[in-house]
Amino acid sequence: MSKRKQQQIKEDLIVNLVPMVDIMFLLLLFFMLGADMSQREAAELVLPTASEIKENEKVKSDEPTTTVNIQHVDPPGGKCPINATAGYCREVDHWAVVIRGREIPRETLREQIKNEADASLEPDVDPLAGVRLSARKLIIRADRAAPYGDVNKIIEYAGTAGIYKIEVGAAVPPKG
Amino acid sequence: MAGSSGIGDEGGENPVNINVTPLVDIIFCLCVFFMVSFKFKQLEGKFDSWLPKGKGAVGSVQVDSLLDEVRVAMYWDEANNRTIRQLGNRRIESDEELAQLIKEGHDAWVRMNKPDTPVTIDAEARVPWNEVIVVMNLCKKNRIDKIEFALGAPPPAGL
Repeated sequence: MSKRKQQQIKEDLIVNLVPMVDIMFLLLLFFMLGADMSQREAAELVLPTASEIKENEKVKSDEPTTTVNIQHVDPPGGKCPINATAGYCREVDHWAVVIRGREIPRETLREQIKNEADASLEPDVDPLAGVRLSARKLIIRADRAAPYGDVNKIIEYAGTAGIYKIEVGAAVPPKG
Repeated sequence: MAGSSGIGDEGGENPVNINVTPLVDIIFCLCVFFMVSFKFKQLEGKFDSWLPKGKGAVGSVQVDSLLDEVRVAMYWDEANNRTIRQLGNRRIESDEELAQLIKEGHDAWVRMNKPDTPVTIDAEARVPWNEVIVVMNLCKKNRIDKIEFALGAPPPAGL
């Protein structure tokens, strides 16, 4: 084969990249829109499942809301063997209360919830309670294995701080 | 990404030849980044559990109203790593049986003209949260909306 003919064949084998670029742009758009880059109030934890929950509605932007997460934290320098095997870890120190990504020490939890409550008090005194209650909604998202005592403490602190709108988070069970 | 294919060099008539290879490289990188960080969201929902406005968290327990409730006691059995559920003195194993007994208990109060009688979940502090949610779910299934939380007394001897 002559050199010229070889060059001719080489020039004919041109890969058209345009459809590939189109598809990749579409994929990129899909993943970009699907990715949640915002700083999330909800921590990553395994919620208990419940079939009777109402699915999340869009939270009104003007409604003051605080999400309290109760999640398992591994001890320094190792993994908790019970939690790693999906068991129920009952070590008090292995459970943390997290608000907006920040772990709240147990000693200051009551104070923190009180501050949250006071930040959005209702304008008028409630006739039943005789005080100004908080308009803030408290969403409790506790891990499925979290001790009930921790959830109960948060409800107690919220009640004494004047927060009465409380919701507890759960996951929709997988279909089938 | 290898190759030097471009847009506009087909036929060799177009003098403007755009090399798309760097573009493809960058899009590939972005695609990989978003694919790796992508996570399907778990569908979440909530149970409303608003506190009574006039009571706060402590509540006002009256002696005569102490018995006006359906009380589900829950204890944590450390040795067997499981939760023990009790309604009255009866231990209940299955969810179906518990749902049935809660319904019967609540219906009895409804017949006595006390439809607002709550179901009180009286769980020990060590009980796993998902066990409490199971009982709440059973109440909601039976259309009982008034659920109260109590922090249980210490477990009976032997647990």
